[in-house]
Amino acid sequence: MDQFWSITFQLLEGFKENCILFGVTLLAALPLGLLVSFGSMSKFAPVKAVCRTVVWIIRGTPLMLQLFVVYYIPPLLTDGSFKFSDRLTAATIAFIVNYAAYFSEIYRGGIEGIPKGQYEAGYVLGMKKSQIFIKVVLLQVIKRIVAPMSNEIITLVKDTSLARVIAVGEILKNAEQFTKQGLIWPIFYTGAFFLLFCGVLTLLFRFIEKKLDYYKG
Amino acid sequence: MALLEVQNIQKSFGRTEVLKNISFSLEKGEVLAIIGSSGSGKTTLLRCINFLETPDRGVITVGGDVLFDGANPAKKREKEIRKNRLHFGMVFQQFNLFPQYTVFENLVLAPKLLAKEKIAEEGAFYGANTYKGAVENINAEAEQLLKKVGLTEKRDEYPCNLSGGQQQRVAIARALALNPDVLCFDEPTSALDPELTGEVLNVIKGLKSSDSTMIVVTHEISFARDVADKVIFMADGVIEEEGTPQQVIENPHSARTQAFLSRFNQYSD
Repeated sequence: MDQFWSITFQLLEGFKENCILFGVTLLAALPLGLLVSFGSMSKFAPVKAVCRTVVWIIRGTPLMLQLFVVYYIPPLLTDGSFKFSDRLTAATIAFIVNYAAYFSEIYRGGIEGIPKGQYEAGYVLGMKKSQIFIKVVLLQVIKRIVAPMSNEIITLVKDTSLARVIAVGEILKNAEQFTKQGLIWPIFYTGAFFLLFCGVLTLLFRFIEKKLDYYKG
Repeated sequence: MALLEVQNIQKSFGRTEVLKNISFSLEKGEVLAIIGSSGSGKTTLLRCINFLETPDRGVITVGGDVLFDGANPAKKREKEIRKNRLHFGMVFQQFNLFPQYTVFENLVLAPKLLAKEKIAEEGAFYGANTYKGAVENINAEAEQLLKKVGLTEKRDEYPCNLSGGQQQRVAIARALALNPDVLCFDEPTSALDPELTGEVLNVIKGLKSSDSTMIVVTHEISFARDVADKVIFMADGVIEEEGTPQQVIENPHSARTQAFLSRFNQYSD
């Protein structure tokens, strides 16, 4: 039993890394994704082309490959003079870029799905573009994207374990170390941590969906 | 002098010329009905007047102020356009209420947003010179408007809980809350079930008696005949015939007007 608790604590140590990666990625990628989505919808063709190309590249290549690129390419390009001192930082950068690309497409779908009439109603009532976006469109967009967003965010929780490919000491990497002592069960035990985390998120998103259920349309 | 003067409006989408040199004028308190087949340019004309489309050529004047002049690019700036739009109210075919706000909130949203800006720039808005005073007046006026369109009881409902006719009445009240010089209706009953058109048309009729100046694009010929002071029949982007309802609807001169109206009369009466 002592062994169980000591392993639990060591796994928690690792899960802390997963949580940091998750939290920082979410905080940075949510606003960055919105910016990218504006870029993808821009009337200025070069901006639109750049944003859409970046999104295509990021969504079109594996996240695992992107982790390698962020971690190994800078030292190669700078002859070793630049190297990430902290592997978690490298992982976080890769995750932020990757998730911003996915979020941007969710935002774009949400924003483009708002009927033109909502904007026009705002215009004829003398509203500014910014007022229309904030006061009229934004909440409608949020309502539309809660479901796809929650899906993507739950995926992010589990994707954080990919950071082990650049040797971030996250929970699965921690668990693997116990195999040297002949212990295999800690690897399966990590599933409980992810399940618990995702369970809490699911409840949270259900709450938000309920909150926005007061109107239709 | 006429309240609204529209001169030589021309508008093309790509190579299609939708409006060809449209001119008309409207006196204060007059009701203008615009009739014509689909694709004749009625809705585009209304959208040009509300600056939802920018005409390629032409001049729009309200109360002697030139709001739009196709030859003067300074008249096309966003701030200017926003200010100009406030001379007009617009009621859409699809209502376009804001679904996340209650009926009452739909009415007061835009005036409240405008209040700060107007008080800062012009010193007064809605008969008050402070934001707080303006908000009080805005709220009071909104209650009055709800009474006018017969929806006081629906004050705190969300649009999704209203019938189409009720939603359109809210949209009318919302447009009136900014006290426009000219209120425009773009086929206000076309998206409604037939049994609901009456309540909306009655509200519009009621506005006529309170001296509102209105432009109504409509397919309700009998409504146009009963309520309008002036009727314009449009075909292929031009005003084919113009005059009093008696002239245009009862005794049309143009063969196209006659053909259009006969198609209507075939099924009505």
